[in-house]
Order: sequence, then C-alpha cells, then structure tokens
Amino acid sequence: MLNTGLLIILSLAALWTVMTRSLIKSTIGLAFTSIVLTIIMFRLNSPLAAVFELSVCTGLITVIFVSTISLASPLTPKEVELLSAARLKRFWYLPVILVLVGVGLLFVKVPLDFPLPHNPAGHDVRTVLWNERVLDLFGQVIILLAGAFGVAVLFKERKKK
Amino acid sequence: MGNYIPLLITVPCIAALLILSIPGRVRFVREAIAVLAVTVNLIVTLILFRGNATFSMPWAGFGFEFILRMYHFSGFIVLATAGFGFLVTIYSTVFMNGKKYLGQFYAYLLLSVGATNGAVLADNLALMLFFWEGLLLFVFGMIAIGGKNAFKTATKSFIIVGISDLCMLAGIALAGYLCGTLKISAISLPVAGLSGVAFVLLVIGAISKAGSMPFHSWIPDAAIDAPLPFMAILPASLEKLLGIYFLARITLDMFKAIEGTWASMLLMIIGVITILLAVMMALIQKDYKKLLSYHAISQVGYMILGIGTMVPAGIIGGLFHMINHALYKSCLFLTGGSVERQAGTTDLTKLGGLLRKMPVTFTCFFIAAASISGVPPFNGFFSKELVYDGALERGFIFYAGALLGSFLTAASFLKLGHAAYLGTLREEHKGVKEAPLPMLVPMIAIASVCVFFGLWNSFPLRHFIQPILPAESGAPSLPIATGAPLSTGLVVMTLIALAAALLNHFYGYKKTGSGVKASDHIHYAPALRGIYDKAEQGILDPFNIGMHWAAFVSRVGWLCDRAIDWLYNVLIVQASLLIASGIRRLHNGSYKTYILWSLAGLVFVIYFLLRTV
Amino acid sequence: MPSLVILVPLIALLILNLPLGEVMRKASFWVALGFFIFQTVLLFCHHFRCICGSERFINSFFGMDVSVDHLSFMVMFLVNIVALTSLLVARHAIKDSDARFNFINLIVIASAGMNGVTVAKDIFSLYVFLEVTAVALFIAIALQREPRALEGAFKYILLSSIATVMMLTSIAVLFFAAGDTSFASLKSALQVSGKSPVLLAAIGVFICGLFIKGGLVPFHGWLPDAYSAAPAPVSVLLAGIVTKVSGIYTLMRLVAAVFGFKAAVCDVLLFGGTLSILVGAFAALGQKDFKRMLAYSSISQVGYIIVGLGTGTALGIAGAIFHFFNHAIFKTLLFVNAAAVEESTGLRNMNKMGGLSSRMPVTGATSVMALLSNAGIPPLAGFWSKVIIIIALWVSGRYAYAVIAILAAVVTLAYLLIMQRKVFFGNIRPELDGTKEAGPGYVIASVVLAAITVGAGIFFPYVFDHVIIPARSALLP
Repeated sequence: MLNTGLLIILSLAALWTVMTRSLIKSTIGLAFTSIVLTIIMFRLNSPLAAVFELSVCTGLITVIFVSTISLASPLTPKEVELLSAARLKRFWYLPVILVLVGVGLLFVKVPLDFPLPHNPAGHDVRTVLWNERVLDLFGQVIILLAGAFGVAVLFKERKKK
Repeated sequence: MGNYIPLLITVPCIAALLILSIPGRVRFVREAIAVLAVTVNLIVTLILFRGNATFSMPWAGFGFEFILRMYHFSGFIVLATAGFGFLVTIYSTVFMNGKKYLGQFYAYLLLSVGATNGAVLADNLALMLFFWEGLLLFVFGMIAIGGKNAFKTATKSFIIVGISDLCMLAGIALAGYLCGTLKISAISLPVAGLSGVAFVLLVIGAISKAGSMPFHSWIPDAAIDAPLPFMAILPASLEKLLGIYFLARITLDMFKAIEGTWASMLLMIIGVITILLAVMMALIQKDYKKLLSYHAISQVGYMILGIGTMVPAGIIGGLFHMINHALYKSCLFLTGGSVERQAGTTDLTKLGGLLRKMPVTFTCFFIAAASISGVPPFNGFFSKELVYDGALERGFIFYAGALLGSFLTAASFLKLGHAAYLGTLREEHKGVKEAPLPMLVPMIAIASVCVFFGLWNSFPLRHFIQPILPAESGAPSLPIATGAPLSTGLVVMTLIALAAALLNHFYGYKKTGSGVKASDHIHYAPALRGIYDKAEQGILDPFNIGMHWAAFVSRVGWLCDRAIDWLYNVLIVQASLLIASGIRRLHNGSYKTYILWSLAGLVFVIYFLLRTV
Repeated sequence: MPSLVILVPLIALLILNLPLGEVMRKASFWVALGFFIFQTVLLFCHHFRCICGSERFINSFFGMDVSVDHLSFMVMFLVNIVALTSLLVARHAIKDSDARFNFINLIVIASAGMNGVTVAKDIFSLYVFLEVTAVALFIAIALQREPRALEGAFKYILLSSIATVMMLTSIAVLFFAAGDTSFASLKSALQVSGKSPVLLAAIGVFICGLFIKGGLVPFHGWLPDAYSAAPAPVSVLLAGIVTKVSGIYTLMRLVAAVFGFKAAVCDVLLFGGTLSILVGAFAALGQKDFKRMLAYSSISQVGYIIVGLGTGTALGIAGAIFHFFNHAIFKTLLFVNAAAVEESTGLRNMNKMGGLSSRMPVTGATSVMALLSNAGIPPLAGFWSKVIIIIALWVSGRYAYAVIAILAAVVTLAYLLIMQRKVFFGNIRPELDGTKEAGPGYVIASVVLAAITVGAGIFFPYVFDHVIIPARSALLP
C-alpha cells in the first residue's frame, strides 16, 4: 500500500520534472524523484540498487546543471513563448512513441533465460554505502566538487559578461 | 706477416679520409699526406709481396669471410699498383698544383689504390666485388671533378662500367650458386652449360674493367675531360692490371678453360677486334691524350688475345704485355701531361718541334712509344712476340690481325711523335721549358723500367709471370725465360711490319708535308672515310647505340609508367578525395545526425550479437 | 598505493584551493607540476616495489577495493605524461590567470577520474569515475565560453549522456543477473549464462556506450567538434588520454575481464575498428583545419587499437596495448605541435600556412617524428605496434582486415605528409615571416614526447618485453 503511494508520488514528481520550464525547479524535481526511487528500492530490500540510484542522480544533476549553465543565455519572455509553442509542435510524437513502446513492452516477453542470483541483501544502506562502495563515494565527492567548481566558474564568467 | 696485409687497404683509405677532412686553404698538407700514404703503401708492399700469406676474419655472417690472400700473382699486381700509385702521386703534386678539387683528387687517387689492393687481394668474390664497385665510384668521382663536360662523361663511364659490373655481379652469384662457395681459391668450374654463362658474365666484368671493346667508349671522352694523372693511373695502369688479373684468375684458376674451346675463341675474337678497331681510331686522332686513350683500348686486345689463346706462350705474353702496357702507357700519359702543362695544349695541330725544348720528355716518350710499337729491344717487343707466338699456334688469322694492329700502332706513334716533337717550333712555344723535376722523375723511372724489362726480360718473366701459370702446363721448360724470342720468322715479320709503318709514314708526310697529317691517306681512303666519319660523330659508339635503344625502351616504359601513374596519382587519389569529401559532407554538425548514427550503430551491434545465438 | 591514486589528487585539489588568495593562483602551475611529478614518482616507487608497508595501512583504512597491475601502471604513467604536457601548454596558451587556475584544477580532477578508471575492479565504480572524467572535461572545454567551444562541449555532453544511459542500462541488466557489480562476479555470471540473448544485448549496449566514449565510427560525431573546438591544452588532454582511457582502456579491460573474447564480440570489435580506420583516414584526408584533421586521424588510429584487441590473440592484444601507448604519445605530440602553430601564427587552416619549419625548427622536426611514427615508418615506435597488429590479424586468418589495415596505413602517411608539407615544409609565406617558436613549454613538451617516441622505437625489444608483455598478461594471463 505504501509502495503504491510512493509509486504514484514518483510518477507525479517525474512528470513535474519534465513539464516545468524553470531549470531550478526541474533539477529539484529530478532530485526529488531520485530520492523517492531510492526509498522504493530500499523498501524493496535492495540497498545496493538504492545506493547506485543515489550515485547516478548525483552525476546526472551535475551534468545537467553544468550543461545548461554553459549553454543557456537568458531569453526574453516572448522568445520563451515562441519556443514552448514550437517545442509542443516539434515533439508531439514523443509521448505517442512512449505510450507505444510501453504497450509494446507489455506484450513482448523479455526472455529471462539466466539463473537469478541469490538475494544478496541483508545489509542496510549504511553498510553498503560506507563499507562496500567507498570508491563510489569518493567518486561522487569528486563529481560534486567538479560540478560545484563548474557552476561557480561558469556562472561567475557569465556575470562578468 | 698476414696481419699486415690489411694495411694495404686501410692506409690509403684513412689517408684519403684525412685529406677530405682538411680544408682547402691549408696548402701542402694534403700533398704531404698523399705522398706519405703512397710511400708507406709502397714500403709495406715491398716487405710483403714476396711471401705467401692470408688474413681472414669473420665478416657480416652468412659465411662471408673477410679474407685477403697474398701470393705471387696478387703480390705482383699489388707491387705494380703501389709503384704506379707512388709515381703518379709524385707527378700530381706538381701537375695538379693550383687546380680545383685538389682534396677530392687525392682522396679518389688514394681510395682507388686502396680499392685496387682490396680487389686484388680479396679471396672472396663478394669481398672482391665490394672493392671492385668501390673503384667504379672513385672513377666516377675522379672524372666528375674534371671540368665542364666532365659530369656527362662521368655518368657515361658510370653507366657503362656499372652495367658490366652488374653482369659480373650476376656471374658471381651464379658461380657461387654452382660451387656453393664464394672463396676464389676454392672455386673450380667447367666452361659448359650454366657455368659457361657464369664464365661469360665474369669475363664481361673483367674485360670491361680493362677497357676492352665494346665497353671502351668512355675512355676517349675521359681522356679529354678528366684530370690527366687520372688517365695515367686508372685506365692506363690500375684498371688494366685489375681487369687482366681477374681475367687470368677466371680463365686459369676458377674455370678450367682450355685451348680450342668456344671460350678461347670468344676471347681471341674480342681481342683481335679490339686491337684493330681501336688502333684504327687511334690513327686518325689529332689530340695527344685522345690518341693515347685509343691505344689504351687497343693494347688490351693483345692481352685478351694472349690469354684467350690458352697456350702457355700466349698467356705469358698476355700477362707480360699487361705489365708492359701499364708501364709504357702511363709513361706516355705522363709525357702528355708534361706537354699539356708546359705548352698549354695537347692538340697536335698546334704542337710541333718540342724536341729541343723538352728533350727529357721526348726521350721518355721515345722509349715508351718504341715499346708500345714493339720495337726491339724494348719490353713491348718481347711481350708482343709471345702473343704472336701464341696466336699463330691457334690460327693464322689472329696472328695477321695482331700484326696489322702492330703496324697501325707504329704508324700512329710515328705520327704522334712527328707532330708533337719534330717539325718546326711554333711562335707561341718559344718560351716553353722542360717540365719540373717531380714530373720528370716518374717518367724517367717508368721509362727506365721499360728499357730494363726489355733488355733483361728474363727477370720479370722468371720472377713474376711464369709462377702464375699452373706448374703442370709445362711453361718452365720454355726457352722464353732466357729472353730471346721463340721464332726468328716472327721477328722478321715484326721488323717488316715496323719498316712498313715507317715507309707509310714517310709516304704520308711527303704527300701532305705535315707530321700530323701523315695518316690522312688512310683516314680519307675511299672505303674508310665514311666509316671514320660516323665513328667520329659517335654514331658507332656502342654506348650511344645502347642509349638510343634505352631511350626507346624508356619511352615505352614511360608510357606504361604514365598509365600506372595515372592509376595511382589520378584515379586512386581522385577516388580517395571523393570519398573524403563525401564523408566530410556527411559530418554536417547536426546533433540529430550524430545521435541517429549512434543509435543505428547500437541497433546493428545488438542485432549482430543476437544473430549468433 | 591503489587508494593513493584517488586520495593524492584530492589532497592536491585541497592544496590548490587553500584560501591563500593571489599567492596560490600564481603558484598553482608549480603546485600542479609538483603534484604530477610526485604522482609519477609514486607510481614508479609502487611499480618497482620500493614502498610497501604504509600503503597496506592506507588501503585497509579506506577499505577501497581497487588493484593496480602492469596495464594500469602503464596507463597511469601515460595519464601523468599527458597531463604534464597539457599543463605546460596551458601555461602559454591560457593567458588569463584565473582561467588558467581553473583549468589546472580541472586537470587534477580529470586525472583523479582517470586514475579511478584504471584501478576500478567494479563496473559501477568504473562508471562513476568515467562520469568524473567526463564532467571535468565538459567544464574544461566550455571554460572560455567561446561559441565554438560551447557547441563542442554540448555535443560531447549530449553523446556522453547517451553513452551514460547505455552503460547504466547495461549495468542494470548485468547487476540483475549477477547480484553484484564486481568484475569477478559479473564474469562468473556471464560464464554460467553466456548464451542468454538479454545478457548479450547488455554487453552490446555497454560496448556501444564505450564506443561513443572512445569515438569509434559511427559513434564518433562529437569527437571532431570537441577536439577542434576545445582550447589547446584541453584538446591535448582530451585527444591524448581522456578518450583513450574512458573509451579504449575500459573496453580492453572489460572485454578481457568481464565479457570474454567471444567470437561475436571480437567480430563487433574488428568491424567497428576497421570502419573507424577507414572512415577516419579518408575523412582526415579531406580536412583543412589542423586540429580537425588530427581528430579524424585519432579516430583512425583508435580503430587500429580496437582491431588489435578484436583479434583476441595474445599477439594482437600486445599490439593493441603498444599502439595505445604509442598513440597516446605521438597524438599528444601532434596536438602540442598544432597548439604551438596556432599560438604563434593564430592560424588553424593548413592552406594558409607554409614553411613554418624554418621559423619553428623544433616544432617542425618533432612533428616529422610524430607523423612518421603515426604512419608506421620504421624504426619509430608506431611502426612496431602497427606491424604487430597487422601480423596478428594475418596470423589469425583475418586477411581482409589485414589488407585494409595496410592500405589505410598508406592513406595515413598521405594525409600526414600533406599536413607536413602544407604547414612546415616549403618556403615561408611572407605574412608568417616573423613567426617564432611558441614558447619553452611547447618546446620542452614536444622534445620529451618525441624522445619517448623515438626511444620506444629504437629500444623496441626492451620496451616490448618489459612493459607491453606484462601489461598484456594483465589482460590475458
């Protein structure tokens, strides 16, 4: 029951992330989605996957931040309006494809023809994070450092100009 | 003793490198080094040449040994090389003074001496070829430093000698293949079938080095273009020594050639043709050096004829003629050099009456000319008599050809001597003086050896020539070793020929009133005139004919080459550029294209991987 | 020591960012220089077993599961060499001291990322450090905010994120099958169910992700733009080592340690490699821009490495590793030369240059060595590695691939000679008459790199026996 509720929240958060036009809001939405997903995974007794999800999220957020900052130039409201209209026109087929793929996947049976491993769980997130995935932790620290660095540098540059 | 043999190669070569590294401004040092090197070379040779010794060390693997062998034959050649090297170097110190490229001249001179020593001493065909080809390079360099046209002549000599050296390379490879070894003293082949081919190839290499027809045509050109001491040392002496030495090694040691075979006939025909054609050309020359150069070709014919007879008397005569020729021909070239330096020209039409101004030079010229014409009792007479003897044994026609050659030789030297030294002295030559001492000494030395070898011919024959022949050939019992000619009949014939030459000269002189035109009645004789004209224009020059054909072949080749070139340079390049521009156009910089490519690649890879399941 | 390769760069980063104000900005170059030299020394000390006790303590304290073998050693050595080169180039090429300071920080971060990639024993850790490297390079490319550079960076980001998605998908599937992400457990899981189409597809997806990272055709769209648009020191770093470590080294490592040399995988590698060789070589033939030409040449040369790997034989893999080494050295050298030319003439279009050898003798001469090595002319190092790869192809019966590899080597020689003739040979153009060598940094870097290329070629037997063969045994015992 709780899981179902979380899944609904996840879907809503994801939708909001995609639909919102503000970069900051979108990023926050992504982080939120990711956290909800982590909780779901943890509840499904898969702490390793949960930790991976956190890692990926860190990387993705950083990448998106940096890329948009490096590219985006402030738009006038009129341009924004034009762009969003154009965007709807240009990408109308994306949701359709998404739905089609989803329906297709329902009918296609992915052959799981390999033996599944024994459930390795039993550790909690803390153990996994601090004992088994130390290297990833360092990697995430460095990504965050780099991201922060990039944001600082590129933002500062832009302000100067 | 054997350990000192390499000195004969290293001393000249190191001295040459030293000379090359000394800048041109430093005077006399290069001359000093050159003289020192040839002196050391001569001394070492004098110490070594009597003994039998070998020197060997491993070289380059694959069974190639650096092996030098000193025995009576090679010792004799090395001694002669050292002697000529020494005398010509002394002569050059004066003659070349003030000329350009002095350092290069001495370097090439010394390197030639070193390479000749190496080629003579080498007891391994590959090693010999190494020095042999080295000599080719130095000849090229030596001619090339001569002057304006020299480079063309140098190239000509390089092509001619290079081609024949290639024949020799093929011959060496074939002989090595047939025998399984390249060690000269271990090779023993019959003259038949495949080894006959090897024989012919090796002979081509040897006689072209000696300057025989049809590989001769660079020598007259070089006589005009190259520095004169070059002519005295290389075509006149070292190359003759080397070429005939190797020819003797081929016929006597490596191949069991015997009289009466086609190989013998081939050599004799080449010999007679060379004698006659070259001497005919010599007869009509109007330049001191060029006339001599044709004789340098003609006299090779006697040596080849002598060795080609394959009978003891002929072989001994050929080898004796080799050393005699080296003596008198280098002496003649040196007198030519004296005239050139003192009188400023070698054109016979502009010379005359130098006898009173340059008596010593004339004396040397007289002795050498008498030698080459076969006038008794000079050395050339005795060696020619031996060759005649051998030739008569094999066929009258060869003897007759050789005797005719002798007649023409004598005639042409009468003309040369008359034109240059007799007659009236020209106005511009009133102030001509005798050549300086360092130039006279070598001439006198060589001329006196000519006289010595003539008067006391049993000394060289017994000590140098006879040991060369295999012991079983019965040579030692021949009375020639005593110095007297074999047959009085031959001597009479020779004297008649000489007298005829003298008469012919007087006839010509009476008719034209000039020494230089004394042979014109032969030159412009009805049948000969056209041939001479063509020969003078170089139409009959085998080199020019060969080049003519080569030009045709190269034009055909050029067309094929253009076609292939078009294939490579146009078709392939254009196709490549087309592909390149196509690829460049595909990279349109659009994100969408690149992403689509990646996805297509992904689909393909997954499809490929799953296909195998 | 394995964990030190992560910790030392972090400490260096800390030192660089100590709040000392202007002092540290001025000293940053020397700090970074010291850091890379220290790291190189550390690497050699570890490799030759000079220090032992303390590292075990550090390893146990941090509990990182990493390992260093001969191949990692070689790659980390290359990382340090190229990073040092890039640092030297940055000293001249980036004029603004703030921008230079930022770039130096980014090199250190990137080197930490690449060190992590080389020592990782876990596919997810590998992914994390690939991201570290990639993020550092995005920022570095875009650092000067020129429109071209931004476009290049954006293409890199876009294609990299696609690669990320591919790799994550694949990792998810593999994790599903193995229950763990370490190389060892993945390998055993793949051995148990190697025929499974899902797992094969996952392998394919991962390989495609790495192909994007390594810039193989047809996944290479980002590469020419990113290489040519990036500032000089960044393109040196990116072309010299980043692409190789994040695309090629990872592929070598994963194919050997996880995927295994299955026939199908080998065929994919051979095909992708050969396509890259051909397309890269022909595309390079048609370029006018110096750096763009070098970028396509990189694609082509990377193809050789992949083809060598694709043979799956001991000889082929040794050739691939040796070509990896050589390519890192000579391509870095060529990019340094391109940077030097751009620095001193301001030009990138090769048609507008000419005769620069007379004004920039060191650049011209080292460029000749690099191009000869690149084209595979004996006795330079590139010749040996190419020859080994071609022989391995021939011996393993892939005659068609071997012939294509030989023919492409001819095209390689052609475009490099065209470059050399247009840029360095001939008479100097009047408008370039005042050109001089770009600076001591360029000269030092190019001379050292040229010396390595020539040395590795001449002492080929020694290098091959003592560096390449041990590195190969790390992949194929």
